[in-house]
Amino acid sequence: MRVSMLMTGFGAGLAVAVAAGLAAPAATAQTAEVLHWWTSGGESAALGEVRSAFTARGGTWNDTPIAGGANARAAAVNRMIGNDAPAIFQFSVGEQLKELAAQGFVGDVQQVAAAGNWDAVLPPLIARIAKEDGKYIAAPLNIHGENWMFYNTAVLEKAGVAVPKTWPEFLEAAGRLKAAGVTPIALGGQPWQERVLFNTVLLGVGGREHYARVYGDLDKAAMNSDAMLEAFSTFAALRGFVDEGSPGRRWNEATAMLMRGDAAFQFTGDWAKGELVAAGIEPGTTVGCMLAPAKDAAYIMAVDAFSFGATSDPQVKAAQKLMAEVIMDPQVQIAFNRRKGSIPVRTDVTDPGFDSCAKLAIATIKDPATHLVSTGLFGVSSAVSGAIDDAISQFWNSPSMTPEQGRSLFVQTVEDAR
Amino acid sequence: MSHAEQSRPAILMAEGGAPAVRPRWRLAPMTAARIALIPAAVITIVCFYAFIVWTFVISLTRSRLLPVYDFVGFDQYRRLFASARWWTAMENLAIHGTLFIAGCTVAGYALAIMIDRGVRAEGFFRTVFMLPLSMSFIVTGLIWQWMLNPVFGIQDAVRDLGWEGFVFNWIVQPDRAIYTLAIAGIWQQVGLCMALFLAGLRGVDPNVWKAARIDGIPTWRVYTDIVTPMLRPVFFTVFVLLSALVMKSFDLVVALTGGGPGFASDLPARFVVDHILNRQELGLGAAGAFMMLCTVVAVIGPYLYREIHKSRGAR
Repeated sequence: MRVSMLMTGFGAGLAVAVAAGLAAPAATAQTAEVLHWWTSGGESAALGEVRSAFTARGGTWNDTPIAGGANARAAAVNRMIGNDAPAIFQFSVGEQLKELAAQGFVGDVQQVAAAGNWDAVLPPLIARIAKEDGKYIAAPLNIHGENWMFYNTAVLEKAGVAVPKTWPEFLEAAGRLKAAGVTPIALGGQPWQERVLFNTVLLGVGGREHYARVYGDLDKAAMNSDAMLEAFSTFAALRGFVDEGSPGRRWNEATAMLMRGDAAFQFTGDWAKGELVAAGIEPGTTVGCMLAPAKDAAYIMAVDAFSFGATSDPQVKAAQKLMAEVIMDPQVQIAFNRRKGSIPVRTDVTDPGFDSCAKLAIATIKDPATHLVSTGLFGVSSAVSGAIDDAISQFWNSPSMTPEQGRSLFVQTVEDAR
Repeated sequence: MSHAEQSRPAILMAEGGAPAVRPRWRLAPMTAARIALIPAAVITIVCFYAFIVWTFVISLTRSRLLPVYDFVGFDQYRRLFASARWWTAMENLAIHGTLFIAGCTVAGYALAIMIDRGVRAEGFFRTVFMLPLSMSFIVTGLIWQWMLNPVFGIQDAVRDLGWEGFVFNWIVQPDRAIYTLAIAGIWQQVGLCMALFLAGLRGVDPNVWKAARIDGIPTWRVYTDIVTPMLRPVFFTVFVLLSALVMKSFDLVVALTGGGPGFASDLPARFVVDHILNRQELGLGAAGAFMMLCTVVAVIGPYLYREIHKSRGAR
């Protein structure tokens, strides 16, 4: 298998060399294995944009798709420990990647980053998190936002409800929608989805400074504050606006409810736009989008990135370098993100072809003060973020729990896991 | 290395450990057998016992993403026992295990007797009961997830028939979801139990039945007093097989409820996998895995010991 691939590469290289009449060094195939978890239709189409750019510049892409982010991350880690690190692998930037890098499993692409001036074009928060020991260990590809509110415009119109700007307004609107026989919130009842909803409420009620203190510093005073209590009581009030079938539901099934008009709102990340586009709906029309009600403008970011296995093979190194360049290429970022539903990680990229939601996102993150971290990704370790998911999910699914109990459960859980 | 090996040794030790250590080393003719057993013994020692030891060692360390040998004593166990989720998982294991084993055994035995009594179209029923077994737990979980879904499953279907007040929403009730696991599990495994019991029943000497008939003993008394005690080894086999399935129940809960709502239907195997693979809590996960092993030993150990001694004595 590998031999035949080398032979093909060699043959191709030879053919090019003969045709061009020179011993083209660039024509030797830069073969790299790429491990990733983008296996669904829309995701795979989006990744196809990166792949074709990579191939067009002389790289050879050996695809290793593994369904499920957790599975793919585990596979990458296992292979690194087994001394067979994949050349290029999708990973979430954050504590886990830094730990791997600290153990010497991850190569850096500082050379490419310095040449491409990544420090200047990346949002400072992302630049900081993509580096270990001052060197870039990941090439970030896109930014997903988690604090979105999608709504079915026809359903809102029929019920005579305006798009709410604050959480009290939302609760009032949800009550009217429920009375009209519509499910106010389409929620996928899985811990991570419940956490996305909670974090959205926390940001909306407490404001971005409070959010940053809770998740950025795991500040105990902030966790014990009144703002936290208010977040929990608002969150508790939402329990009544979710239909019975919510537990266990997948996020895309919830988006389908929204598209069918069975539900009025969905609070989830902008990956939902991928579903809309696949169903032939232009985001911002039949299904509208707004940042969820909040005191001040903020964007809870989740970043997809690719990292590079440590290697001494110059050919693999060349392929890694090429991949880093391709990922940060503005045109690739535009093509990729239009299909993925996210926005480019480069702040200097704008494109008239983006939908209205993406434009709103790009406009929002112009101000670095709006940048917040998703607890699913970075800022907190995966042990803490998992424990937070447990606590929020336990609270959400125990209707008898009071907001006070929720708050102390949250504080205790974080304390035990850190 | 992965979760699978960590939960597997527990079961394999219970099933296959005993015969492997039994050869009589002193006998010369056994030399050939002894040599033949070496690969199996090496595999058993390395893959099962060494991994058990390794898991235990890891559970004493601070390991998070990667195994590090920074020993912290029983700190991970302290964290484990402080975790509400772990106790929910253990409690669920007890509920699910009891219901699943009892349900499969009783229903499987009843079906086997029914078929043994000469039901018409025996082949048809046998196939029907065995069919679910051909499906993986993942498929079973998905099918039952749809059937139990209150919005478009059984509840909805019955309501459409006119019973508006019908409620069957266990899968979304945190205190009931665990019972749906037993329902789906029994549905799938009952065929296997039936087949084993049927084989046992067919193996009963026809003379026993003839003698019973001559003595005028009612059929049900023959089953309760004569046949059932004779099938003791079959019951033992069924119990061990089902216990193994319960301990490693992972795919069914993932597909059926995802451990939810919240973590209300979580099981230890899922807890361990989740902490090792998704949360990078290798030490905590290893502690959980080791506690699972202890549970198996505590539950099956005495039973296994007794049964083996009994069968030896009988010989």
